[in-house]
Amino acid sequence: MIMKRCFSAKQGVIFDIKEFAVFDGPGIRTTVFLKGCPLRCMWCHNPEGLNPNPEKMIKKQGIENCGEFISVSKLSGILLKDQEFYKKTQGGVTFSGGEPLLQADFLYEVLQELNEIHTAIETSGFAAEEIFQMIINKIDLVIMDLKLIDSELHRKYTGVDNTIILKNLGILKDMRKPFIIRIPLIPKVNDTPSNLEAAAALLEGAKELVRVELLPYHRTAGAKYSMVGRAYAPLFQEDVPPSKEIGSFLRRNIPCIVL
Amino acid sequence: MTKHIEGLLDFFIYKKCHHDYRRKKPEDKYCLARKFKAASMPDIDRVIERFEYVLKEETPVVFLQDKIALIRTLPVLPEIYTEEEICDISKGHHIHEQGKVCNVNPDYMSIIDVGFNEKRKEIKKACKIYNGSQLYYLEVMLKTLDIIEKFADRYREEAKRIGNHTAARTFEHIPREKPSNFLEALQFFRLMHFCLWCSFNYHNTIGRFDQYMLGYLEHDLKTGELTKASALELLEEFFITFNKDSDLYPGMQQGDNGQSMVLGGLSMKGTDSYNVLSELCLKASLELKLIDPKINLRVSAQTPVSLYEKGSELTRQGLGFPQYSNDEIVLPALLRWGYEKEDAYNYVVAACWEFIIPGKGMEIVNIDGLSFPQVVVNSFPRLIECASFESYMQVIHEEMDKLCGSMVHKYKNIYIEPSPVMSLMMEGCIEQAKDISHGGQYNNYGIHGSGLSTAADSLAAIKKFVFEEKAVTPELLLEMLSVDFKGYDKFANILRTKAPKMGNDDDLADQIAVDLLDMFADILAGFKNDRGGIYRPGTGSAMYYIWHAQSMMATPDGRRAGEPLACNYSPGLFTKCKGPVSIIKSFSKPDLIKVANGGPLTLELHDTVFRNDESITKVAMLVKSFMDMGGHQLQLNAVNRDILLDAKKNPQKYQNLIVRVWGWSGYFVELEEIYQDHIIERMELAIDG
Repeated sequence: MIMKRCFSAKQGVIFDIKEFAVFDGPGIRTTVFLKGCPLRCMWCHNPEGLNPNPEKMIKKQGIENCGEFISVSKLSGILLKDQEFYKKTQGGVTFSGGEPLLQADFLYEVLQELNEIHTAIETSGFAAEEIFQMIINKIDLVIMDLKLIDSELHRKYTGVDNTIILKNLGILKDMRKPFIIRIPLIPKVNDTPSNLEAAAALLEGAKELVRVELLPYHRTAGAKYSMVGRAYAPLFQEDVPPSKEIGSFLRRNIPCIVL
Repeated sequence: MTKHIEGLLDFFIYKKCHHDYRRKKPEDKYCLARKFKAASMPDIDRVIERFEYVLKEETPVVFLQDKIALIRTLPVLPEIYTEEEICDISKGHHIHEQGKVCNVNPDYMSIIDVGFNEKRKEIKKACKIYNGSQLYYLEVMLKTLDIIEKFADRYREEAKRIGNHTAARTFEHIPREKPSNFLEALQFFRLMHFCLWCSFNYHNTIGRFDQYMLGYLEHDLKTGELTKASALELLEEFFITFNKDSDLYPGMQQGDNGQSMVLGGLSMKGTDSYNVLSELCLKASLELKLIDPKINLRVSAQTPVSLYEKGSELTRQGLGFPQYSNDEIVLPALLRWGYEKEDAYNYVVAACWEFIIPGKGMEIVNIDGLSFPQVVVNSFPRLIECASFESYMQVIHEEMDKLCGSMVHKYKNIYIEPSPVMSLMMEGCIEQAKDISHGGQYNNYGIHGSGLSTAADSLAAIKKFVFEEKAVTPELLLEMLSVDFKGYDKFANILRTKAPKMGNDDDLADQIAVDLLDMFADILAGFKNDRGGIYRPGTGSAMYYIWHAQSMMATPDGRRAGEPLACNYSPGLFTKCKGPVSIIKSFSKPDLIKVANGGPLTLELHDTVFRNDESITKVAMLVKSFMDMGGHQLQLNAVNRDILLDAKKNPQKYQNLIVRVWGWSGYFVELEEIYQDHIIERMELAIDG
């Protein structure tokens, strides 16, 4: 199922704007977290990004709002305020979430306003081809997740089929656009030699691939579930450290780091 | 790190074996004072007798592995005055802290570079032109040298006795002669520094070590006596010496002994004076991970990002340093305050963060602190009569004027115990036969400025809700504050969370902070102290952020009665900060050249940002950006395990502490305990990695 555009073009829903993001692209960046995601990855550490609508978060000191509607001009105004700073530190803005492609029309208009700024996107790649291409064309650096290659396992652990993701990866490889592949390393789920081999094989020879980033699972992932009224019950063993065997990538001369 | 250094760390730092040599009998700290009082001895005689007593009572202990010897064996220093005498003195004098010369930076090399024999000649020459009490003082200085020499001789004998030929050889030469190599210079320094502590001086700052010791290092590297590796080892042993007796050193807070070392700095030629010794010092600090010496980096527009990167690597160790001071702001500030050009360029950082001059400054840079929020509170009664926010700011000006005025009039006739040991290393004391306690070339006082963000936020709330939106009348607002918001929780929450706050790059709040600091500078500019010095306004808070807050009522920023203020120059404690970029933008808006007594912006970054080289570069860029934007001083903390454990216990102090793991972030105090523990656990892995 391909997600339809949910919101009118002029407004979007975001749940955070984080300054000084150091792992979301080059330089000092600000990351905008868009609300709503079509996937349901078992290890998701931002459960407040799943529901596309503003909701309440129940915290120790009371109830807080999570997520707000924001116009294109307001969001771009906030981001443009620091453009001198981004220039000086060779940084920029990264769009993450949730799944930013879920609000493609809104995102597109914001990107139009940010022509002078280096932009990046963190995406699952789960979106219709035309939407993927439309947004990626306006982005300077793509950070795309490649969670699982086997489609059955992918459906089991993320709730969706990965055919469209792999197709978009193919499109990305053909575009002359620098990209980073991110793999959250989930113990005994995708840190297996077979999955990492399959991932490495898919990426071999991709000219614009900057590197592969492996993110070992962290135990704080479940921290916010109860705050948004969800239960955290992953079907994998949380306390087993994932394997960080990067041989598959190194053998194919694919730059790879473990974050 | 060599095996020798590992051994020293084990012996002195982890196992503290040298403590076994300390006198265990409880000392009566008034044993001498009573004798002195009975004999009605003048203070100069008291201090020299005490100094002689202390060094005599000290037992020389040399360990076979020592290249640099000396440990304290007498834990308690005797006072020269009884409590009643102090009481009497304070009736006619102002006594600052413990009434001793402290928190200055002596010119160690004025004695080390020449040796005692030469120094004696200098003093004897001065003796020829003085008589009476001045001649007497010079004779006391000569006696001081004798006492130290005798003590050094006992160490030489002990070194011989135990078979430590290195130490014995060193003490054959120093302190009578000037050092012939780096090792002797370091031992000589340790001796003089040791003697300062023994004469009850404290916050004995180290200063520009990389400048004044460079010659000795370069000489040894040239002759081949030392390689860079063996020099590093020697330096590390030297650094360890600052931690051997530090538990005995007095201060005002736990762990606060003022052993600050300053590296780098712009020279008058316009070049950066960071050198091979500065490099080794950073390396030594990084390898040892000891709390002393505290490293301060002087930076300027010339400073490359790579130095900030080295600094960030040091920050990662979680020790709370380096602290960065921006020459581009401090130099113009000092010149504007009347310091000589050469002296300004030579500035160092005092025990905490104030800017002082080596060898020439008998300055009390922390003599008092202005509470900005108290100024706001004092202005409340007149809020009702103000038709506009501008007219209220006039009232603020008047109240600040009153408060500053009452402060400066308190500090008359200051009394400080003389210190011949310190005076031997302060310019002009021999020449003028005058103890440094009576004044040096510079005699300025510093006034801290605490709670700036609380005051700016409070005034911003008044501007927005009382004058602009008219959401609340002044009467109602004051009513709410007088009952500590009881029954007005909803509005208190709005003030706390929805009003403009300093630190979020919001001009409404930030401009008010700019104005408050300008006011502070303008008001103090009119005052002089009775030693001919000026009052320097600053942005530090020392302990005032607690003291000023405890008895202060609720404030319009949503702060409850008694709630603490932010430390130094930082956003309010419950401000939900947008992030470090907004913070450095906000805090670089004021004209900091006018308020440069000292007081850093403190940024706390979670350890993840120090995880790899790429992110460390970004941290470095962040610090450099603050300086480029006109920031004066910055202290960067890597949130470490102790902070998190404290946050678990005292969440109200850490409401805006954010922890991050890649793309996940959360307010630490909002997490369930189990997740807090996961974060703490990750912390431990991080430091080793």
